[in-house]
Amino acid sequence: MNILIGTILLWALALLMLRRLKTQAPESLPAVYARGKSTFLFMVPRIFIGLIGAGFLAELLPVDQIDRYFGANSGLAGVLLATLFGAATPGGPFVAFAIGAAALKAGAGWAPLIAYVTSWSVMNLNRSIAYELPFMGRRFLLFRSAASLPLPILLGAWLLLF
Amino acid sequence: MQPDPPSPGSSTPRKLIDGSLIFITALAVAGGAGVWWLKGGDKFREILLIETGFAVMLLPKILAGILIASCLPLLMSQRRIQALIGPESGLRGLMIATLAGVVIPGGPSVTYPLTLGLMSAGADLGAGVALVSGWVLVGLNRTLIWELSFLPPEFVALRVALSLPAPVLIGWAVRRYINGAAR
Repeated sequence: MNILIGTILLWALALLMLRRLKTQAPESLPAVYARGKSTFLFMVPRIFIGLIGAGFLAELLPVDQIDRYFGANSGLAGVLLATLFGAATPGGPFVAFAIGAAALKAGAGWAPLIAYVTSWSVMNLNRSIAYELPFMGRRFLLFRSAASLPLPILLGAWLLLF
Repeated sequence: MQPDPPSPGSSTPRKLIDGSLIFITALAVAGGAGVWWLKGGDKFREILLIETGFAVMLLPKILAGILIASCLPLLMSQRRIQALIGPESGLRGLMIATLAGVVIPGGPSVTYPLTLGLMSAGADLGAGVALVSGWVLVGLNRTLIWELSFLPPEFVALRVALSLPAPVLIGWAVRRYINGAAR
């Protein structure tokens, strides 16, 4: 359902922009279509392979064991482990937040939890492979990931200290 | 989405088969073999079917995203985008890019094409990274709809407050590194 609404909204925006372009600069339309077509052909195999690959990897990861390592006394080791699990957690936001909520109920501390949620937000292998790599390219993903890597650990450490 | 003069900051390869395609194919094959071996052929086929179906449903959305990203650089004045979030836009540009990421209401198939379109229109890599970071870290949609329904509000508030400066810092670090490497 969500995907349908999103698709309709996006198409409305795309058609609106195409119409504006038609009145503003009609001579550029063939180039837009040609570029759109080549980009689409470029994307299609990547989207299929990326999503299928992410699906396989998700099946192989032991996500059901995550809450076991989240203990309130786990300290920096817990934060590091939570960072690792956050990056590896597959699926949409509901999966990561549901796991976080379950871990909290099972007695997890805020420090590993913030490391987990933050790591899932910035690293998220699933999204990186299925979307970011095909859309943005390797350079963008590498730079963004390298600059983001310290954040989950820093936030977790911050909560351990204060 | 590559404009005629090569877009600043964008490195998207145009070759149909390139390193990143080989990389994700190798990952998918390894993952598939692992699932087949550990969980059996039925599980393998089930995942293959589900993900293929999902990808098919996603295609119209991606096509629309690509059209938007292709139109965007032509509809917006290159000079204005460059002034707002270009390489010389300073801290203010990174804040604007972060804010854009925070308010974008869509998922990855909206945000990435949009970022690519803005980068083709003159945004630099640092601003692009700040935008995506703002979206993944403190995106309104995800925080309000998903995170708040699962986690305690005090935790969410603390996480958002601590994460808020991060996209600007991350974008700044990327920009600084690139400038340093160019010199």
